[in-house]
Amino acid sequence: MRVEIALLAILAAPLLQALAVLAFSRPPGLRDTVNVVFAAAIAGLALFLVGAVSGGHGARVVLARPLPNIDLAFAVEPLGALMAAVIAGLGVLHAVHTTGIVRAMQEKGPARLMAFLALSTAATMAVAFSANLFSLFVAYQALTLTAFPLVAHRGDADAARAARVFLATLLASSIGLFLPAMVWTYSVAGALDFQAGGVLAGRVDALTANVLLALFVFGLAMAAMPPMHRWLTAASSAPFPALVSIQALTVLPAGGIGLLKVAAFVFGPALHDAAIAARAIIALAGIGMCVAAMIALSKQDLRERLAYSCMAQSLAVVVGVLLALPAGLFAAALQVVATSCAVATLMMAAGTVAAVTGRHNAMDYEGLGRVMPWTLAGFALACASMIGMPPFSGAWAKLWLITASAGAGMLWAAVLLGLAAALTFAHLGPLAANALSGPAPTDAFKRPDGASILLVAPVVLGAAATLWLLVLANPLALFLSPVWTPRP
Amino acid sequence: MIAPYLELARAHALVLVVAAPLCGAALLLVLPSGRLGWLVAVAAAVGAAALACDFSARALLGGAPLGIFSVTPIDRPDGVALFAIPIVTCASAVALIAAGAQLRDYNARAAPFALALTLCVGAGWTGALLARDFTGLFLAGEAAWLAATGLVALGAEKDRGGLNAALRMLVAGGMSAALMLLGIGLIVRSIGSVDLAALPIAQIAASGPASAGAGLILLALALKASLAPFHLWSGAAQGRASALGAIVIGAVGAAGALAVMTRMAAFAIPAPAIGGGVSAALAGMGAASVVIGSLQAIGAGNLRRLVAYAGAAQAGIVLLGVALGSPAGFAAALIQLGALAAAAMAVLAGLAAAGGGAALGALDGLGRRAPLSSLAITAGALSLMGAPLTIGFLGRWRVIEAALGAGWWWAAGAVIGASLAGVFYGGRLIERLYFRRAASALEGRRDPWRLALAPALAAGILGIAIGVAPGVLLLAADAAASQLAGEAS
Repeated sequence: MRVEIALLAILAAPLLQALAVLAFSRPPGLRDTVNVVFAAAIAGLALFLVGAVSGGHGARVVLARPLPNIDLAFAVEPLGALMAAVIAGLGVLHAVHTTGIVRAMQEKGPARLMAFLALSTAATMAVAFSANLFSLFVAYQALTLTAFPLVAHRGDADAARAARVFLATLLASSIGLFLPAMVWTYSVAGALDFQAGGVLAGRVDALTANVLLALFVFGLAMAAMPPMHRWLTAASSAPFPALVSIQALTVLPAGGIGLLKVAAFVFGPALHDAAIAARAIIALAGIGMCVAAMIALSKQDLRERLAYSCMAQSLAVVVGVLLALPAGLFAAALQVVATSCAVATLMMAAGTVAAVTGRHNAMDYEGLGRVMPWTLAGFALACASMIGMPPFSGAWAKLWLITASAGAGMLWAAVLLGLAAALTFAHLGPLAANALSGPAPTDAFKRPDGASILLVAPVVLGAAATLWLLVLANPLALFLSPVWTPRP
Repeated sequence: MIAPYLELARAHALVLVVAAPLCGAALLLVLPSGRLGWLVAVAAAVGAAALACDFSARALLGGAPLGIFSVTPIDRPDGVALFAIPIVTCASAVALIAAGAQLRDYNARAAPFALALTLCVGAGWTGALLARDFTGLFLAGEAAWLAATGLVALGAEKDRGGLNAALRMLVAGGMSAALMLLGIGLIVRSIGSVDLAALPIAQIAASGPASAGAGLILLALALKASLAPFHLWSGAAQGRASALGAIVIGAVGAAGALAVMTRMAAFAIPAPAIGGGVSAALAGMGAASVVIGSLQAIGAGNLRRLVAYAGAAQAGIVLLGVALGSPAGFAAALIQLGALAAAAMAVLAGLAAAGGGAALGALDGLGRRAPLSSLAITAGALSLMGAPLTIGFLGRWRVIEAALGAGWWWAAGAVIGASLAGVFYGGRLIERLYFRRAASALEGRRDPWRLALAPALAAGILGIAIGVAPGVLLLAADAAASQLAGEAS
């Protein structure tokens, strides 16, 4: 298969998946089979593209030319391929888990839910493979519009309110901040194409670089940078399949991918010219991580607790990106991968627990591990990864982040990262420990048959996925090195 | 056999684009009412639109020298006319096709008048764009305005509020006419000629009266173009007019008046004695219209009023591009003009096709019950938001680019602010269409004539989707702006 065709296929396949799920919505078995088969196909395409990049092949496709010198274009490069592979791989587990959740919780409008999940995946793939700032902007907007119905899915007043906050925050920040930054970049550089080494390198003075960096970072609100983080906490009332998608597979990772692309392909060495803004944003992100972790500790509803925990993890990506070092970029990429694996597992486990036992609060998790051992074991492993405990993927990501911070001469950033990890332990560690070691509850299940394999297997496999960075960290560094190495 | 007649028509296109609709209007008054009159009106309007697109394409894209049009006193159309006349005539043609579904809003006696007045609105603004002198511009513009007022008044048969709206338009038109006559008098006295082309090159001894004259003319046109804060008539007019009247005012009239204003500015800004002041006045007017129009659109509870106020904001963006006075600014303004017409057509045609009320609640759940109408309204809302790959985004991008190039950071900020506001009021429409349930069942009409609205819906959607591949549009806008620059130098 040619790489260009694979690239087009991975962008189109989720769209076809959405249509197919709606077309074959009955019987439910057919709908679910279609959903999982498409997810597997997308994962296969993503793996093919990773293989192609490893073999030195690339591709670029232009879908439209809406402005002079500006294409709606998508390209295969290491960073995008890696992210797509992780998201698509976890997407298969998510698709299986979704089939279990919608049945167990009698979720309304399952076909519509699955369709919008697929559309969000399509938009996220477009973000990952965007070849320039304009394509990134278009994909970002598309992701906002396709994820919004996921937040509004329940249809009640709370969902509508949350969806409005979600939409308003993301759209307003992208149009009010990201769009001006994009236009300004175009006026400075004459083009918007991503290039290793940065399109702004050598073209901007310090003031312009600082202002542009601030506009880009706060304009990409999907990275949950305060004060643009309200969408994440507002979305915590969405159905569990939507939460897995938004926090682990689509919206939150898209923010990290967007920041990585901007830092690597737009700024490059020009990040050094934006040192003032970078340090200020790192400080804000570091403090934000700690505050988010503390707020998470105060939340009893597990969805809210995990939302703030995700926010803390996402802010670690921001820190890594702005360190202006290849090691920082690599650390940020690892953090995106590790967070996706861990959050997906956590959310799927929480969804399984809610579906089978009806429990949503942290205090109700005590002893559940004795009656749902596989699910809570997966939950515990994912917690360990979020905290940064070796040998789980989160540990390697945080190690690289701390090392890169020290290497950049920002020991205070390393301290903030460590403090955030400690606070993450505080809100997740006892939770996991109590779940596994507490006395078994006598009235756990609201369903007599417990959790089906559709609900448990994805959690276990997701937990296993949090271990793969242990062996793949070094090959990944090699794989991603072209991102921060300009071509001669 | 018809080829020689077609060539004859092409050679006299500049006369026929005005004469054909006027002849059609006259014919309508003697024809028996009903569908035959509608067919005549459509034929006249479509013919005029086809000729307009043909001569503009040849002049802007085909490289045909303007001299080939020197057959009548109406010759040498400028860049603004070449770009805007197809927009006005096409919008008029689409509105008349859509009128086939809306004739039931008028009784048998009034229907031919409604069609005739619609033809006159399009012909009037086209004539104003082709006029060579201030007199012709004034007369044609007033004719278009009076026709629009009559069209709104005819809607009073269904809604007595239409008379109130028509009265407002009459008062606004009267004020505008008075201002324009005064302004023309001052200008003509200063430059010693009634020709528009004389303005950029005139040796103006006293810039005060000339500046005042130019300002009054632009103010008069701003009133007609529904620029805030001079748009007090437009909310009531659009809100109370019939569906046809709303489309004619919102799309044809707004685009026509704004195009004439752009044309006037294109002559005034290059004049050394008054250019700076005109540019500043336009910039201020544009910024004010963007802010006021956006705020009013956010708070609007009536759909047609929302479109009117959003139109004022869009018109403000056009003026910001014009105020720059550069070829890039004019090109951007022309594209934004097209965006304004397309968005208005899409939303208003969608509302007409849906057949519900004008309250925002009428949109609830429409996405399931009337998918094509909802698609048109959605396309219009996305364009108003400046969503990427729509013509609305293209227009705003070009204006921002031109503003940044001239160092007008505040103008770029105003355009971005308009987009942000568009997210709120456009997003509200989309949310209601697809994410709310209808309060009551839609009482759809099983009327085959509703299909007549399909071209309007398609035109609106396509006009917005041209943002995906706008190469020809960009080329035409740049060519039009270059012609303006060439004529000024």
